[in-house]
Amino acid sequence: MELIKEEFVTTETGIKELVIEEISRNHKLLHRHKLDKPSIHIGRDYHNDIILADPHVCPSHISIDFIDKQWKITDNQTVNGTFVENLKEKKYQANQHVVCDGDIISLGKSQLRLLFSDHTVEPTVAFSPFESFINLMRHPIALFISITLFTLIAGSIIYFNRPIEVNFSQLLVPAIGMTLGFALWPAGVSLVSHLTKHDNRLMAQLAVSFALFNLMWFSDILETIVTFNSSNNNILPIFMTFISVILAFSLFWLNSYIGFHMSSKRRIVVSASLTLLLFGGSYLIQYSKKPEFNPRPNYNATIMMPSFLLTTSSNVDQFIEDSSKLFDKTSKDAQEE
Amino acid sequence: MKFFFTLVFMVLSSSSFATEQAEQLFNQLKPSLYQIKLIDKASGEKSSIGSGFQISKDGIIATNYHVISSYALHPKKYRIEYLDSDGNTGLLTLQSVDVINDLALVKRKIDSINNEDIHFFQLSNSAPHKGEKLFSLGNPHDLGMIVVPGTYNGLKKESFNERIHFTGSINSGMSGGPVVNKQAKVVGINVATSGNSIGFLVPHDKLDNLYQTFLQAPPESIEHQMTEQLTANQNKLMSAILNSPWQTKPLGRHGMIPIIDVPFIRCWGDSNADKADALILTAVANCSLDENTYLSSQFFTGAMEIEFRYMQAKNIGANKFYHLYQQQISHAGAGNRAGKDNVTQYQCHHDLVMPDNKMINNKSIFCTRAYKKFPDLFDVLYLSASIDENKQALVSHFTIAGIDKKNALAFTRKFMEAVSWN
Repeated sequence: MELIKEEFVTTETGIKELVIEEISRNHKLLHRHKLDKPSIHIGRDYHNDIILADPHVCPSHISIDFIDKQWKITDNQTVNGTFVENLKEKKYQANQHVVCDGDIISLGKSQLRLLFSDHTVEPTVAFSPFESFINLMRHPIALFISITLFTLIAGSIIYFNRPIEVNFSQLLVPAIGMTLGFALWPAGVSLVSHLTKHDNRLMAQLAVSFALFNLMWFSDILETIVTFNSSNNNILPIFMTFISVILAFSLFWLNSYIGFHMSSKRRIVVSASLTLLLFGGSYLIQYSKKPEFNPRPNYNATIMMPSFLLTTSSNVDQFIEDSSKLFDKTSKDAQEE
Repeated sequence: MKFFFTLVFMVLSSSSFATEQAEQLFNQLKPSLYQIKLIDKASGEKSSIGSGFQISKDGIIATNYHVISSYALHPKKYRIEYLDSDGNTGLLTLQSVDVINDLALVKRKIDSINNEDIHFFQLSNSAPHKGEKLFSLGNPHDLGMIVVPGTYNGLKKESFNERIHFTGSINSGMSGGPVVNKQAKVVGINVATSGNSIGFLVPHDKLDNLYQTFLQAPPESIEHQMTEQLTANQNKLMSAILNSPWQTKPLGRHGMIPIIDVPFIRCWGDSNADKADALILTAVANCSLDENTYLSSQFFTGAMEIEFRYMQAKNIGANKFYHLYQQQISHAGAGNRAGKDNVTQYQCHHDLVMPDNKMINNKSIFCTRAYKKFPDLFDVLYLSASIDENKQALVSHFTIAGIDKKNALAFTRKFMEAVSWN
């Protein structure tokens, strides 16, 4: 009597179970079937075990039969054929192909992934510490607070910069408009994750986005305070720019963490690319708009009310000395051209 | 009054009625008058025209610098030609310039020095007296030469570099033409107009100086000569300004600003006290130097502007006041026109500055750009905004064009120490 080898997980009838996954073109799972019949029929008509709606699939397209302890594909002389389309391999005819674990075959425009039930799965992903942060932020009260805070800040910025007197409704409408405008981003991300067969988690996306938008407001204010309190000689304002970059990266990272299942390496690459696109793009736009020669000086005019003044001022001697260096700099520019 | 330079060489038709006297003068002087044309070498067509008059036997012709400025800055691109009353043309060579007084000497080749028939203008020995009748001559394009009678009205008041105020229609196209008295002696050179019958002339002694200097030592290079003239002029101007009394004057409720007490800097004021709905009460005092040295159509220098602005919040908080205040000081620009070929881009420095008297705390910005063709000359811009009062602000600002480093810094230092709260 022959012992059944350990790696062969079989049913009582001696048939090795086959898992057939219908997948999309970019290999996202659509449906999953687990079958333990010795002969599996796949095609477009209704007597098949797996019925595909794809019009390029024949009524009886293929059968997969368990012969000699292995699964073999038989193509029923179909119009468009059946192919094995494994990654890293050239596509070839699937007729009489012996199925290996993880094979991907294409019928018409549909793709199927064939797996044995002993296929090893990815290790369990533990909840990251962000999960509790996200859960906290998506609590209705927290969400309400952060959206209200955002609207208030937007409203006050509009108020501060209007040179004429404004009433409450004149502020409320643009402030709410701005809030809705910013809500488009998390809504868009949710929509994309919904369309890519992920859980949309709209509330979580909104919560995380607005929390980070608010942090960006605060970093802006902090940056203004630092700029106001420092002269050209100070490099602190440059560090403040990094904070904005970090915040943008965090936003994109959390958006993709909530909305999509992907490896952490891929998530970092995606978030970094989006950050680069945002900052690089806005830099490029500024750069392209910059005229070749600007007859106006480009100076930093940041001023704030006296309560934000945190440093002591220089004296006239120091200012004159610093300014005198500009003459040598521009003279050098003039000679270079 | 806005002094308006007319540096357009194209001519608008102007009718002039020559009196009998004018006709006589005209016929007498015609042979020594020339139309000066700048020809673009590549296209072979004229790019600008003006007038000129011969002042010596050996063919020296006086004209305005602005007539030949393109040649002075780009000698390879142009050539200078003349057209005389008989319709003869020929080449001219640039000999010397005075950019400050807008004068230039060009030379016509004379075949024989001993030719007795050569006519030239005599420069007057004395200045005219007020009310004296003068005749302005010019050779505008297509109209041939015209003569315009007018009156001498003294020197233009409040100008740093002297100009004669001539009442008579000097028209575009007459630039560089002579203005003579009844004795046919040159007392001035047409240079600019300021609208209806207000004309400006360069006094004849400036031309005399230029010619005498030229006879003693012709310039080695025109660009070098221009640099020297610009440098000397700004030295003269800044020493006059730095050594004159600076009076302290109140602006708004608490501001104290300096007013430079020299006749050539004139001040104007304005406020929005009549606007009931304004959120900020603003009072502005504006002083400027009525000089604008022409270097090319895209490049002027010598201008100086000083502006003080006092602001007070009415019914708004400090935070909003400072937001609006920042908008007010974000867009300062140069006081003179200059392009990429003439100047570098501005370089700026900003800092918080408190003068030693501790009377005010400012955010101060200093910017400068260098001249490319004239070494050691710069345009500077200074802007200072007070940051120590919650609902009041004092902005002090100036621009100076064509100044050297030493003078710019000395002026900035004095200016910074002169602005304060009382």
